[in-house]
Amino acid sequence: TRLAEGTPRRSIQLSSIVEKRVFNEDDIINTPKRTKARKSISIKSADHDGDDDYVPELSTPKKTPQKTPSKGKRSTTKSSTSDVSGTPKTPSQKLKMIRSGEIKPSLEKRGILAGSEKGKTDLQIARERLHVSVVPQSLPCREKEFDNIYTFLEGKIQDQCGGCMYVSGVPGTGKTATVTGVIRTLQEKVTDDELPPFDFLEINGMRLTEPRQAYVHIYRQLTGKTVSWEHAHSLLEKRFTTPAPRRVTTVLLVDELDILCNRRQDVVYNLLDWPTKAAARLVVITIANTMDLPERLLMGKVTSRLGLTRLTFQPYTHKQLQEIVTGRLNGSTAFKGDAVQLVARKVAAVSGDARRALDICRRATEIADAAASKPENSSKDSMQCVNMMHVQQALAEMIASAKVQAIKNCSRLEQIFLQAVAAEVTRTGVEETSFMGVYTQIETIAAFMGASTPTPGRALRICSKLGSERLLICEHSRNDIFQKILLNVSMDDIHYALKVNNTN
Amino acid sequence: SPPKDSAQPQTSPVRNKYQNARKVLNSAECQKLPGREEQLEELKAFFREHLENKKSGSLYVSGQPGTGKTACLSLLLRSPEFNNRIQKVYINCTSIASIGGVYKKLCAELNLKPQGRTERDHLMAITHHLKTSTRMLLIVLDEIDQLCSSKQSVLYTIFEWPSLPDARIILVGIANSLDLTERTLLRLNARCELKPKHMHFPPYTKQQIVDIFKSRLEEAEVLDIFPPVTLQLLAAKVSAVSGDVRRALDIGRRVVEIAEQQKKAGEREVKLQNLNNIVGEVESTQGQQEEVLKPVQVTQVAAVLNKVYGASQNLQEDIEESFPLQQKIMLCTLMLMLRNEKNKDITMGRLHEVYRRVCNKRNIHPLDQAEFAGTVDLVQTRGILRIIKKKEPRLSKVQLQWDEDEVNGALSDKQLIASILDDTACLAK
Repeated sequence: TRLAEGTPRRSIQLSSIVEKRVFNEDDIINTPKRTKARKSISIKSADHDGDDDYVPELSTPKKTPQKTPSKGKRSTTKSSTSDVSGTPKTPSQKLKMIRSGEIKPSLEKRGILAGSEKGKTDLQIARERLHVSVVPQSLPCREKEFDNIYTFLEGKIQDQCGGCMYVSGVPGTGKTATVTGVIRTLQEKVTDDELPPFDFLEINGMRLTEPRQAYVHIYRQLTGKTVSWEHAHSLLEKRFTTPAPRRVTTVLLVDELDILCNRRQDVVYNLLDWPTKAAARLVVITIANTMDLPERLLMGKVTSRLGLTRLTFQPYTHKQLQEIVTGRLNGSTAFKGDAVQLVARKVAAVSGDARRALDICRRATEIADAAASKPENSSKDSMQCVNMMHVQQALAEMIASAKVQAIKNCSRLEQIFLQAVAAEVTRTGVEETSFMGVYTQIETIAAFMGASTPTPGRALRICSKLGSERLLICEHSRNDIFQKILLNVSMDDIHYALKVNNTN
Repeated sequence: SPPKDSAQPQTSPVRNKYQNARKVLNSAECQKLPGREEQLEELKAFFREHLENKKSGSLYVSGQPGTGKTACLSLLLRSPEFNNRIQKVYINCTSIASIGGVYKKLCAELNLKPQGRTERDHLMAITHHLKTSTRMLLIVLDEIDQLCSSKQSVLYTIFEWPSLPDARIILVGIANSLDLTERTLLRLNARCELKPKHMHFPPYTKQQIVDIFKSRLEEAEVLDIFPPVTLQLLAAKVSAVSGDVRRALDIGRRVVEIAEQQKKAGEREVKLQNLNNIVGEVESTQGQQEEVLKPVQVTQVAAVLNKVYGASQNLQEDIEESFPLQQKIMLCTLMLMLRNEKNKDITMGRLHEVYRRVCNKRNIHPLDQAEFAGTVDLVQTRGILRIIKKKEPRLSKVQLQWDEDEVNGALSDKQLIASILDDTACLAK
């Protein structure tokens, strides 16, 4: 397991020496650590303590802007370290600096400045506002959930004890946005001195290559240093089990909890066991999609530790989705009211996913843009606006089924093949057909239509082509005539597509 | 820097009784363990006997989660009675990197210096220490089921230590399952001196949970917040379901939280009323200052209990209008197929075929197969369905996890359900 980390053994030991020295004096490190952690949350590229000799802004003017825009983490750090301090040049030294958090990753800046706000049309502004990444200050239609999480966290921070909460709901119902919104509000209260200070850490199960990497990420957010997971785990264990007089509450947000579950479930167990220690003052908020995840997937002792404080985010109704979209548009007239309503109703009928509604709206603005740029439209209607037609088109694009089109665009022989499979399924009454039976049907249909029958070899080729298009599900063609074939489209689709085709 | 300044006024805000009760009902470690006197005595007797005879022994402690096994043993580890007579080690087996890593951790806890870095060197160092040390050694291995492997070599090695010549060790293993030693460590049965003494922690009874609540609330002098009736109700429910004290404390805390919220909401209303009619300002502000403590009501406790234990019931009120239409139609179609077809294993493809017919009959645009699979997946997160994955998405099986009445209740759209369930014509091919 140690080799799998990809870290040279020597560097682990070096960093462990540093760690031990720092960790013995528990009180002293608490304060610098806290400031560092908070800064790294708020502004990633901000410079931190005085011993830091690397400022990312220094390196950018030295670089030639004509270069291809690559993620120049490696190159920028190299140039900067060489011209600032001069001494560390070898890759291993640089790696050590990266691991100890002395160098922060930075991205190359663009040479050309971004366009100004003025030249934008109504539609463009609306499109920017409708982007999924623009999280509004207060989430509409989630006030109840916000209050729930807020009172829980505020109580835990005031009581200075630990606890867990489990938040669940289908994707796109505002779980993570609500929780981070609560944290932001609490942090504002801390700066106003109405609440004791607290640390905020965040991990996401999907961003980890392995469940145990969670320890590394948590430890890095606490101290800025990267160590191996065994080491990080023992240091975290030490931190959370030994009492320290000036420890502040730590709020840990665990997103995508179900990814962190492996067979042993040791990571989840540890993350949920630390809050039960009196010394830890750890509050864990876990987020996942499944409502009954604790009962379905977790072990009994883990479920018992997770507790019963749970909250479920229901999918948005069409009224709520409408409110969300109009809230984003913020009084802009780029959208017709009934257009928004159509989007909301269509999305709410399927999933109630806010991301999807926003995406469809964005697509509708693009379609409206394209329609307006055409000369015949722009002349008669100067006012750009998204109407029902545009939304209809966007919906058709995003909730469309392309299968009928695909069948229509098949070659003649492929269509005969599909017909033959359908006929064989009706004949036998079993969904699974063999190539042999299908081939007999092909012969019949071809004779009926007056077309020449393809040879079995060619029919196999057609079969594998349809299989790669996923219109059929078929086995490998080395089984030739005994291979099994399943329809991946419904029979009605085939009849519909071919009949409409015939009349043309 | 701001954190330094604000570190002092942490305790300054005036805390009301609700907050005190909430804090004292935490599920962290505690000093007093009411309801576990018998087990504590038994453990003490076991330790004392082995200490006086200078004899090795092993013990296996089992019980459901939340019955206080770890709490009892950590209380004994801290107790002054054994403090200087015995060397104590506590290891939680979930915190080791791999199964073999337990030796390394033990070495670290015992401050041993092994010869090399391999697992075997660590083991040698431990056995050497066991043979030579003069003090009694107490090793507590929490969550010992994490050490199970196919050959069980580690577990056997550990449980053989007490029978080593000259070893003075008391070994305690903690786990959930009642028969871990019998089931996984069969070979220990062959020799009586190897077999660990078994001790079971039964789930807490109703009276014990009431005692725990009483002792905790008395500690913070907030016993009056919970009237005895509510405590009895809570304890009766929890002890009947699991007897897990973590759950009981959780529910107790939740009740206090909700009571506080409701009281706050009530105060806010009173304030609003004050603002509205300025006439009654004087007397009502006086009424507020009294800070009356409202004990929690039976209805509040019952509400929390219902919410926690009646999973599908509280789903009903949440779902009401927010269940998407296509998901409703999908569920109804599934029920229709289950009711009328002999073949109960329903694949995604078959379900989709029927669903399309149902949709077409109702003049609703049916979803594409890819989209439909996503919809079924979303319903799965509610626990109503289970999808058994197969090689192809079309072939994966869909199983209903609730019974029909529950689904009917959850959908709360009787007209739609009735019309679809009558529609057996859609089934025919």
